[in-house]
Amino acid sequence: MTTPAAAIEVSGLTKEFGGLRAVDRVSLSVAPGERRVLIGPNGAGKTTLFHCITGTLRPSAGRVSLFGREVTRLPEHRRTALGMGRTFQISNVFADLSLFENLALAILGTDRRKWMMHRPVAAFDDVCRRAREGLELVGLAHRERTVVRLLSYGERRQLELALALSSGPRVLFLDEPCAGLSPSERQRISRMIGALPRAITVLMIEHDMDVALGLADRVTVLHRGRVILEGTPGEVQANPEVREVYFGHV
Amino acid sequence: MRNALRVPLALAALAVAVLLPVAAGPFWTGLLTQMYVFGLLALSVDLLLGHAGLFSLCHASFFAVSAYTTAILQVRHAVPTALAAPAGLLAGTLLGLVFGFAVRTRGVYFILITIAFGYVVWGVAHRWSSFTGGDNGVTNVPFPDVGAVRVESHTEYYYLVLAVVLLCALGYRLLVASPFGLTLRGIRASETRMRSLGYHSGLHLYAAFVVSAALASLAGVLYVYYNRFVNPVAASFPISVEAALMAIIGGTGTIVGPFIGSMIILWLRNWVSSFFELYASVMGLVFIAAVLWAPQGVVGLVGRLRARLAGAGSG
Repeated sequence: MTTPAAAIEVSGLTKEFGGLRAVDRVSLSVAPGERRVLIGPNGAGKTTLFHCITGTLRPSAGRVSLFGREVTRLPEHRRTALGMGRTFQISNVFADLSLFENLALAILGTDRRKWMMHRPVAAFDDVCRRAREGLELVGLAHRERTVVRLLSYGERRQLELALALSSGPRVLFLDEPCAGLSPSERQRISRMIGALPRAITVLMIEHDMDVALGLADRVTVLHRGRVILEGTPGEVQANPEVREVYFGHV
Repeated sequence: MRNALRVPLALAALAVAVLLPVAAGPFWTGLLTQMYVFGLLALSVDLLLGHAGLFSLCHASFFAVSAYTTAILQVRHAVPTALAAPAGLLAGTLLGLVFGFAVRTRGVYFILITIAFGYVVWGVAHRWSSFTGGDNGVTNVPFPDVGAVRVESHTEYYYLVLAVVLLCALGYRLLVASPFGLTLRGIRASETRMRSLGYHSGLHLYAAFVVSAALASLAGVLYVYYNRFVNPVAASFPISVEAALMAIIGGTGTIVGPFIGSMIILWLRNWVSSFFELYASVMGLVFIAAVLWAPQGVVGLVGRLRARLAGAGSG
C-alpha cells in the first residue's frame, strides 16, 4: 500500500468506435522514470490507447491515473498542466509560424503568462532563452527565425520532439518519433531520447525493433486492442507468441 | 531597407492625415472619418479572421448595439457623452459576451451561427419600433461633448476619430505581438496541438471574440457621433460582410490592411454610385476580382511586387 504511485496507471481501458473495439480492457502500470515501449502490428490500437491516456479521446470505459491522481475525465489541456506531454505520429507543428514562435507557444502553454495581452512575446527574456535551448537540444537553433513551412520532414520531426519537451512534461508520450526518418536521423532522435533525464517517464510507440529494444526498460505488446505480453526486451524477443503476431510465421 | 523605410513612411502618412482636412475640404473630411471608423470595424473583424482564423459575420451587431445605445441615451434621455459613449461600448461588449458562445463551433457552422445572431439584432432594430425607432432609427445625435473635449465641427470630429483610431492601432499592435495574440495564431495553425500543449483553446477564442466585439463597439460609438443618426442599416448583414471584405481586400492579419480595405471600398462606392445606379453589382465584381487575384489583399500584393522588384534588382 505504501509503494509510490505509478507515473501512469491504466486499468480496464476500452475504446469503441461504433462496433469496433480499438482498445480492449487494457491495463498497464508504468513506474516513474521508466522507459516503456509499446509495440504491435498496424491497427493494434497503440495510437488510440495513447489518445485515451493523453485526453485527445474519451475512453468508453476504464480509468487513467497520473502519479496516483485520476485524470480519466480531465480535458487534454488540464492533463498537460499536470505533466503530460506528447508528440504526434504525423508531425503536428505550427507551419505558418517561426521555430521561435513554435517553441514560445510550447513554453507558455503551461504558464499563466499565456494570457498576457500587453507585452510582446519577444520581450520575455526567459521564454527566448528557453526557446533557444529547446532548439539547441534538437539541433535547430540556427533556424530560429525560419518559418516551419520551409523545414524538411526530418527537421519537423525534431521540432515535434522539441515542442513536447518544452512544456516541461513529467511523462512524455512519443508516437513513433522515428517514423519516416533516414537511418542517420533515426539514430540522432533515438540518441536524444536515450539522453533524456530519468526525471521524465517515457512511453513510446515504435515500429523499429532496434530503436524500441535499445531504449526500453520494459515492452508492452498490443494485438487487436489487447495486451498480449509485457516484459523486458529480452523476454519479449524470446516469446514465441510475439514472434508469431509481430513478425509472422518464421 | 524595409525597416529603414517604415518609420518615415508612417510619419508621412500621419502628416498627410493631419493636413488633409485643411487641404481637401468638408466632403473628403467626412469620407475619411467614415473610412477610419469602418477601418476600425474591419480591424475588429480581422482579429478573429486574420489571427484566430474565425470568420465572423455578426460584427454589425456589436457596431449597431453600441451605436443605438449611445444614441438612445444621448437623444432621448439627455445623458451626457461621458456616460452615453462608455455605455454604448459596454452594451456592445456585453453582447459579445453572449454571442461569444459561437466559438463552440468551427468553420462553416461558426459562420452560420454568427449570421443568425446578426439577423436577430437586425430584426430587433427593424421591428421593435417603439424602442429603436424602426426604419427611421434614432436621429439628431449631437456632437460628443466630454468636459474639456467639446467637438463643434466635422473637422474637429475628424481629429478626435483619428486620435482614437491611432491609439487603437497601437494597442492592437501590442495585442497581436503578445502571448495572447500568438496563441490565436497557434490555434488557427493547429488547435489539436495547442490543446496538447496545455491551452484551453475554446477559452482563448472566446476571449478574442469579446475583445473583437469591444473594438467593433468602439467603432459603433464613433460612427453614431459622425453619422448623427442610426437606423437598422447599421445592424444589417451587408455591414458585417463589408467589414470582412475590407479586411480581406486590404490584407488580413495586418494592421494597415483593414484600413486600406476600408478606404478602397468606401471610395469606390462613393465614386461608382455617383454615376451608376447598380453600384452594388460593381462592388460585387470588385470583391470577386480581389479574392481571385489578390487573396492576400493589397498588403500581400505590395509585398509580392516588392519581392519581384528585389529579385529583378539582384538578378
